[in-house]
Amino acid sequence: MTSWLVELGQSTAALLMAPALVGLIRWLKARLQNRCGAPIWQPYFELHKLFAKEAVVSTNASWLFRAAPYVVFTSTVAITLVVPLMLVPLPFDGFADLLVVVYLLLLGTFFTALAGLDPGSPFGGMGSSRGMTVAALAEPTVAVAIFALASGAGSTNLGHIASRLIASPMAALTPGHLLAFASLFIVMLAEAGRLPIDNPATHLELTMIHEAMVLEYSGRYLALVEWASAVKLLIFFCLLANLFVPWGIATTVSAPALVLAAAALVIKLGMLCVAVAVLETRVAKLRLFRVPELLSVSFVLALLAVTSSFVLR
Amino acid sequence: MMAGGLFSQLSVLGSSLALVFGLFVLWRRSLGAYVSAFAWQSGVVAGVAAMVAHFSGDHALYLVAALVFGIKAIAIPRLLTVMGRRFGGDRESHPYVNTEASVLSAAVLVLVAYSVTRPVVALSQLPTRGAIPLAMGLTFVSLFVVISRKKALTQIIGFLMLENSIALLAVLCTYGIPLIVEIGVFLDALMGFLVMQVFVYRIHETFESLDVEQLRHLKH
Repeated sequence: MTSWLVELGQSTAALLMAPALVGLIRWLKARLQNRCGAPIWQPYFELHKLFAKEAVVSTNASWLFRAAPYVVFTSTVAITLVVPLMLVPLPFDGFADLLVVVYLLLLGTFFTALAGLDPGSPFGGMGSSRGMTVAALAEPTVAVAIFALASGAGSTNLGHIASRLIASPMAALTPGHLLAFASLFIVMLAEAGRLPIDNPATHLELTMIHEAMVLEYSGRYLALVEWASAVKLLIFFCLLANLFVPWGIATTVSAPALVLAAAALVIKLGMLCVAVAVLETRVAKLRLFRVPELLSVSFVLALLAVTSSFVLR
Repeated sequence: MMAGGLFSQLSVLGSSLALVFGLFVLWRRSLGAYVSAFAWQSGVVAGVAAMVAHFSGDHALYLVAALVFGIKAIAIPRLLTVMGRRFGGDRESHPYVNTEASVLSAAVLVLVAYSVTRPVVALSQLPTRGAIPLAMGLTFVSLFVVISRKKALTQIIGFLMLENSIALLAVLCTYGIPLIVEIGVFLDALMGFLVMQVFVYRIHETFESLDVEQLRHLKH
């Protein structure tokens, strides 16, 4: 019973924490570029403002356009219940494993793309076609990269993979593990729409991907979409932090262990934010035609990770 | 037993890193990136050699590691940087095989290396046997760099990486060949590099470019 409560609690915490993550990355980037930057909690103000505003919907849009933000948001929230955040093993582990996570991620991307196509605006269609290109290249890599860990742990269950790694810490140094981390990091940049694949800070470029798909949204719909994309970033950070470096996660339901787990999670997420902010300050956006090259590199890394973890078993 | 486990894990880790730096060359296009990838790869190879020396107790290998580090991780990259400054901006913009295809074929080559070395790995009792397919894969990948790239400097980097992979394979399979042979191989590679350097200058002087495609014009 308590573990169910912890499960729901950590999922809620993830929802509430996600905008701060985006705010932290923006603030760090601003500091690195010698700007003052908006405070970390700025995304909360933005969400609050958007929820209060009227939603304007194009007359050409069908019900799909109104339904898509809810599908995107709920599918993303559903993933937070399955991904190991603070406690392993979770009661939800019995229902869903990594394949469910991959498909739920894809469901969100698919509906975002549909919503981009629905009102018939040129930007939306362009964004959707680009978004699907990136997703088609990135989603298999997520699955293959986590399979590399799964074959080491002997289970596709995310909680099981994390607890297995806590039990045998030497496995963190295997090449399969490190290559999978590298490839998942690249895919995270693609899936969460960060630089060098997509630029989250602009609405003016012809190269935007995610922003082009959601360009028609306003009001509460936009708030849901923005929130969902922040949660998606948090999910990828948690996958990177807790599947590859699971130390700190609580393995028993007790107050000190959970406090420690929350602190460890915040530190790990902070480090990933710093890494992403530094990377985004240092690199320029890739030309669109070079994106498949980068994603094929990450796919090959994931493939090598699986090969080596199968051979070394 | 624990030390044996650590030894085999570190050797596999080192070889994978060397392979990843090899893949890096297929992806990037500027000479600076190639040179730093090669320098890092040589550093990793030197590290693997030093580690094998430590675990096997064969102290001659420390000298090999020092030689690899001094020549390949410091001296040759420095020479390459000087050459790059001279022929700066000569990027690998149109290789024979495009980037996606070459990265994916590199993956296939590594899988081929796994299947080719399967009997060797099955027969071997060495703790380093898990790394042999990776070193073999690096050999194939570097050969692929040489045949699929057009610029002379990229081909030289591919050749040097091939040399790295052979040194790695020798260290992993046999715990190091006799020192005199190793030094001979080094001198050979260094001489080869110096000769190629002369050729690069000649090619550049004649064609104002390092594109080896241009050499075809010599026939007419």
